[in-house]
Amino acid sequence: MKRAAHIMVDSLFLVLALLTIGASILALESRELVYGAVSLAVSLLGIAGLFILLEATFVAMLQVIVFVGAISVLIIFVVMLVRREKWVALPAGGEVFGGLLIAILLVAVVGYLAVNSGISSTLPPSYAPPSYTQIGIQILTDYWFALEILGLVLAAAVIGALTMAKIEGNEP
Amino acid sequence: METFEEFLKRVITIVFWILLLIPLIIIPVVLLVLVPLGVPVPTANRIFTAIIDPLVMLQFMDELGLGPSSLFFKIAAFPGFTFAAGVATLTILYERKLLAKMQNRVGPLYAGRFEGILQPIADLFKLISKEILTPEKADKPFFWAVPFLVMAVGGSFLALIPLSPEIYIAKSEIGLLIIFAIIGFFPLVVLIAGWASSNKFSFIGGLRALHQLISYEIPLLLSAIGVVLLSGSLDLMKIVDAQKSMWFIIPQFLGATIFYITMLAELERIPFDLPEADTELVAGWYTEYSGMHFGILQLANYVKLYGLAALFIILFLGGWNGPAFLPPFAWFLIKLFVVISAILLPRGTNTRVRIDQLIRLGWVYLIFLAFANLFIALAVASLGVI
Repeated sequence: MKRAAHIMVDSLFLVLALLTIGASILALESRELVYGAVSLAVSLLGIAGLFILLEATFVAMLQVIVFVGAISVLIIFVVMLVRREKWVALPAGGEVFGGLLIAILLVAVVGYLAVNSGISSTLPPSYAPPSYTQIGIQILTDYWFALEILGLVLAAAVIGALTMAKIEGNEP
Repeated sequence: METFEEFLKRVITIVFWILLLIPLIIIPVVLLVLVPLGVPVPTANRIFTAIIDPLVMLQFMDELGLGPSSLFFKIAAFPGFTFAAGVATLTILYERKLLAKMQNRVGPLYAGRFEGILQPIADLFKLISKEILTPEKADKPFFWAVPFLVMAVGGSFLALIPLSPEIYIAKSEIGLLIIFAIIGFFPLVVLIAGWASSNKFSFIGGLRALHQLISYEIPLLLSAIGVVLLSGSLDLMKIVDAQKSMWFIIPQFLGATIFYITMLAELERIPFDLPEADTELVAGWYTEYSGMHFGILQLANYVKLYGLAALFIILFLGGWNGPAFLPPFAWFLIKLFVVISAILLPRGTNTRVRIDQLIRLGWVYLIFLAFANLFIALAVASLGVI
């Protein structure tokens, strides 16, 4: 019984991982911009599925609400409004080198952090994932500073958007 | 030109032949598949009793894992899809008759002897027998996927909604959050629908729907947070349990009003039916859908209506709580009838708002009022009234 459950989880993980990676590749390489934008949403959904496999339902739902429900909709919205002729193919050159450098740096930093974190230790089988109330209490007590900074960034973004909308000279 | 009675007669003949052929052909074929798989097969005698006797049939379904207590039955039949589709169909008929009576018309009259009660069945056969057209320049994969996506999003809503302490499909600690995550899919699907048809009416309808759905999701969420504050939980079961002494519509009247208005906007109903304004945009984002595609979209719309009405009952009207002389599920159905009537009524009396009025209402007034409602909830919770 337990073995069957393991196989089930593993195969689900494989399907979700393939879906996520495939959709991300399609998002970058697709000729049709709208297909690219929609496959970006699919790959974000795949990541939400991985969170659910890890029993982090709360994080998964926030991923769906924020990334699939808001960000990818805005990206698709912009893609649909922009005419295709305005997209000019950039000549390949220094960008490839720069991209590779950034990718290697990113992998090195994230890999270093991941190896040095508690990722190699296994949790006891009776471990229960923290509930959303615990997450909320932690955010409001231990991590209050990060919360304040996030609020400041959001407020700055809202003020910036309002200013840009006013500069256009539109009647509000 | 055949009358509806003749048509019904023809359909009944077809159904009769199907019912005759099932025992003769389909059941032997199913048995031929089941026997090599090693599933315990009942005797022929028992199969024939099962066709006649519903109790034996129930036992038989239990043995196959499809009985009323199984997850499959819950999802497919009772609290799940078939029940919701039935409610949606009845809602369509009720809406047409109600609006007709309000406006001094007769409404559906001929299908069925009494007041056109068979009109949904007639509509269903009409839609099935129509051709499904695909526009030449449409994006075909997306165009064909959209009706099923809309149905899937509208249907997955129902899995989280409990109808009574015993009747539910799934319960989760964060049920309300999951429901809002599902609501967040609607703008995406509608936008894809508007774009895939490559029709300017569809596209304008899709963009309007996007504006409307995104603007009104925020007050919808904020007005529900007041209830979460008062009950201290995101679990829909616990929210209903917290309303045993007082329904949340009393301390949260402002919140309930905001939820009701945003619900009308999320459902794209009059006075907020800009995405499908039929005098300007033909039918908005489902202009190009015909035949059963249109039927699925319409059904999905009313399933969504049922889901949001049930959510309103759970959040503000005390769910299945009520005096004990009726079972909880009956109370739920009575409240469902009242809330669905309240959603349908504005369609008979109101006009459509303009797009600037809609956006201003959503972003200026409703969000402000939702925050005010949040402070009311905080005050009530800190005074310890509940």
